[in-house]
Amino acid sequence: MSGPEIVARGGPGPNADRTDQETMERLANGDLGALDRLYEHYGAMSYSIAYRITGNSAAAEDVVQEAFLGAWRNAARYADARGTVRTWLLSIVHHRAIDAVRRRRPTIELPEIDTGLPAGLTMPDTWDEVAEGLDRDAIQVALARISDVQREAIELAYFSGLTQTEIAERTGVPLGTVKGRLRLGLQGLRAAMLATGVDRG
Amino acid sequence: MADHLVGGLHCEDVEDLAASFVLGALEPAEADAVRAHLAGCPEAHAEVAELGSVVPSLFDTVEVVAPPAALRERIMAAAVADTQRATDTQRNADTQRAADTQRATDTQRVIEIPRLSDTQRSSGGSAAFRRPLWTAIGLAAALALVALGAWNLQLRGQVDQLAAYRNAVAAVIDQAAQPGAQLAVLSQPNGAAGPSGLAALTGGGTSVSMVMRDLVPTSGTEVYEAWLIEGANAPVPIGSFTVDAGGTAIFATSAGAPADGSALTLALTREPRAGAITPTLPIIAAGKAAGQSS
Repeated sequence: MSGPEIVARGGPGPNADRTDQETMERLANGDLGALDRLYEHYGAMSYSIAYRITGNSAAAEDVVQEAFLGAWRNAARYADARGTVRTWLLSIVHHRAIDAVRRRRPTIELPEIDTGLPAGLTMPDTWDEVAEGLDRDAIQVALARISDVQREAIELAYFSGLTQTEIAERTGVPLGTVKGRLRLGLQGLRAAMLATGVDRG
Repeated sequence: MADHLVGGLHCEDVEDLAASFVLGALEPAEADAVRAHLAGCPEAHAEVAELGSVVPSLFDTVEVVAPPAALRERIMAAAVADTQRATDTQRNADTQRAADTQRATDTQRVIEIPRLSDTQRSSGGSAAFRRPLWTAIGLAAALALVALGAWNLQLRGQVDQLAAYRNAVAAVIDQAAQPGAQLAVLSQPNGAAGPSGLAALTGGGTSVSMVMRDLVPTSGTEVYEAWLIEGANAPVPIGSFTVDAGGTAIFATSAGAPADGSALTLALTREPRAGAITPTLPIIAAGKAAGQSS
């Protein structure tokens, strides 16, 4: 396949979550069909996130495979996580993709990877979503409300896998300024999303 | 807010690190310290959840690109391989449990025999009405032994069937890994729980190897019929099989017609007798074929 091809959608929205819960129950019972279904729904979105972070299709494929295998093994633990199945799964993808890019960089100290635990046992932190039900356009609108430097800091953290210290080095500003940009950026996004949600609700 | 020192961090440190924490922009040791603080601190630290609630939306800012077609198959094969490892562990545990049960049964037998003998030897007096009680206990024990024996046999049957299923799954995966071969994951059309399995299609659908589990057993003349659907064409029956109480089926056929390269779907129906030319609904399980050739 030559280069990524743009597809129309990134899987069903949060409304699909009730069906997703059933899929998770089946997954916890070792049903391969449920894994296939999860991939059908979120494979493209998972790959897109992994590709955006790693910038490399082979690495992105490895990340998605690890993430789905992690979900397959840990489906029973989904009940303990917050948020939707979509967020849970995509957070696992994100977590592993960031891990992959950080391992390529010598600048960050990572704990020993060989803990004897199978891949996927370290699960990401998840939270209840403020923007559940908001579409991509609304999120783009919210993103346009915050300043360029705030958006840049968030993107460097979330999609380039830089730590706050590395962001400070990269952008040439003090660490305190980076922390402020990340905080104000997230708060601004939250306010914009809540406003949109209220407008629509 | 009262200040607490938990996990090596004060509450105000956690506030200071919250945005970086939810975005994953802390060093691993710092992130662990924040987690430890949140787990142990009496303060709710609502600011962490508030900032974190924005983060999943960032996924929707990513441009969506199509993954390579082979990725799905790779993931399914990896999950199957993983299942086999887990099954091996489970099987060892089951074998161990069966052995334990057998030992317990042997011990029980040793204990019960003298009791029964005592009862048989005793005569007259209070023993007269004690006997039915002992006999009752003996009978219960004997029934328990029979039940345990039957359970062991059943367990052995399940383990054997599991082993056969596992081997067949491995064989199907191997076949699907051949150049030009395709893999179909069969599940419920509506995504509900139910029979599921895998099929390898080789020679453009001319040969199909299928392994299924959780099928309802067939009775009388009933059969399961496999159908190959090419593009928008009518389903073509490619073979039938029966299923016993174990609910698994291992099925191979080379009756399929060569395909012209359209997408192939495999479907399974339950038919009152062999030789159906149109499928009897509902579809028991179905799956699209995907592989290197797609």
